[in-house]
Amino acid sequence: MATEGFVARPRIDWIGIAFAVVLTLVIIFPLLVVGTWAFANVWRYPNLVPQEFGLRYWYQTLARPDVWQAITTSISLAVSVTAISAVVCLPAAFAFARLQFPFRSLLFFSFIAGQAFPKFGLLVAIAGIFLSLNLIGTFWGVVLIQLVGTLLYMIWIPVAAFQSVDRRMEEAARDVGASPLRVFWSITLPQAGPTIAAAVLLTFVNTFYETEGAWLIGAPQVRTMPILMISFINNQPVIQYGAVLSVILWLPSFFALLFARRVISGGSFARGFGA
Amino acid sequence: MTLGATSDIVGTKTQGRGLIGLLLVAIPVVLVAWMVIYPIISAVVTTLWMPDANGTDAFTLKTYRFFFSDGYSLANLQLTLWTTALCGIILLVVCLPIALYLRFAKGRLAAYVQGLAIFPLFVPSIILSYAFIRVLGPNGMVDIILNAMHLPKIRTPYLTPWGPLIGLVWDHIPLTVLILLAGLGVVSDASVEAARDVGAGRFRVFWNIILPKLGNSILVAVSFAVLGIFSSFTLPYVLGPAAPEMMGPFMQRTFRDLYDAPNAITQAVISFFFCIVFGLFYVRSVVKNQRGRG
Repeated sequence: MATEGFVARPRIDWIGIAFAVVLTLVIIFPLLVVGTWAFANVWRYPNLVPQEFGLRYWYQTLARPDVWQAITTSISLAVSVTAISAVVCLPAAFAFARLQFPFRSLLFFSFIAGQAFPKFGLLVAIAGIFLSLNLIGTFWGVVLIQLVGTLLYMIWIPVAAFQSVDRRMEEAARDVGASPLRVFWSITLPQAGPTIAAAVLLTFVNTFYETEGAWLIGAPQVRTMPILMISFINNQPVIQYGAVLSVILWLPSFFALLFARRVISGGSFARGFGA
Repeated sequence: MTLGATSDIVGTKTQGRGLIGLLLVAIPVVLVAWMVIYPIISAVVTTLWMPDANGTDAFTLKTYRFFFSDGYSLANLQLTLWTTALCGIILLVVCLPIALYLRFAKGRLAAYVQGLAIFPLFVPSIILSYAFIRVLGPNGMVDIILNAMHLPKIRTPYLTPWGPLIGLVWDHIPLTVLILLAGLGVVSDASVEAARDVGAGRFRVFWNIILPKLGNSILVAVSFAVLGIFSSFTLPYVLGPAAPEMMGPFMQRTFRDLYDAPNAITQAVISFFFCIVFGLFYVRSVVKNQRGRG
């Protein structure tokens, strides 16, 4: 229902309908096909729908030791990276938002330096350094390279959160004698909390799906779920394994979708990308 | 976000607070210096100063000379440039109309279209690759449907240069739409209505009122896409042809399969070089934006 103005008359929004139909076909339909494959016991060409639906390949996929190993590796990687990132970045974000110190602006904007370079090229440059440190093929090498990818948003988003806290409330609490720690715990954190939680969630999800650093530094010793998925695509003749793994692999994104959609639809998210 | 005046909420004495601030930001700053800035400088330096026949470091361009005289390397670079340029153009052609529609439409249908346009953000590239193969690959869903309608099969784009191209466009739709939409926010309804009142057609309104204000956002969206596509790895690796390959898989193979770090790093520096204008423009826009806020 476009209103009067640039796009259409208020009657039937043909342009909108056209976009909706085309985008549904291009964006939702391929994912539905994958979902269908995951629940197909038998689907032989050229049948339009599977000959037999069922959970057979869920049992088979979940019985594979390489799948469980990849799930464990991915989760421990994502948890380690997110935890280290939070411990290292949140105090820094607070300092950037509230404290005065030399070179504050310069250091704050140094986090964006990496964005000026194509990412995989930068990863190869980092891998060159890791080579001499014997970090190639190790778990902690992958943690380190993924940690670097989280710094920018784990600092910039919480800085915005700390700055949007109502300063007058904090001052009022201080005036009636609350200690700085008490003010931080009871006033600052509850207000900044939701945005910081969103940053932590996005960091976890992005790390979980991070493929390029893990592949370049970790493979073949460190096998995350996306890397296992690549090997399923390249070498696995049973189509359903990949389909089931795709559905499992999508779960973290689904949670991110539930929690973060509102944040992303707002204009401030796009402005963070320089719009 | 601007870094304005701070208050004394932390309650430490003014003296020494500079030190506390520096200590709190020290670890992430050291990480960036060690793992972003140092590797970039090191990549340039180690590819330009290499041990010569006597084992002493001397200025040399030999890895660069090799890259630019090697037919295979040049074919990879050419494929990358072709994919990046075409992706950029297709993204604009696809996303600009979506963004324009979303800027001026309201209601549930517009919300649905926006939801769809943003949705690929929540689909990891590797799942996209798999879905691509199941739909457009040999005997994929499109073939099944065509077969049911007694039509011939498609020539699948899987394992051709069109594979990564389609995947990369799909992947970059959300942020391109969001960046353009944010840019369209500065175009006021009043200015568009005023132009309509004096009889300007839709195209005139777009060309004379909207486009001049959107120029910067288009450049930001293109820069962001170029940086992401030029050295993309997963989609070209899974969906693209084995040879020639895009710079991402090429660098990975040189580094991990051929154990040839100097040439891999040379390829990285060359991709830095090709993207530097877009990179600097993009970073400048982000910084300007962050400073101007708040």
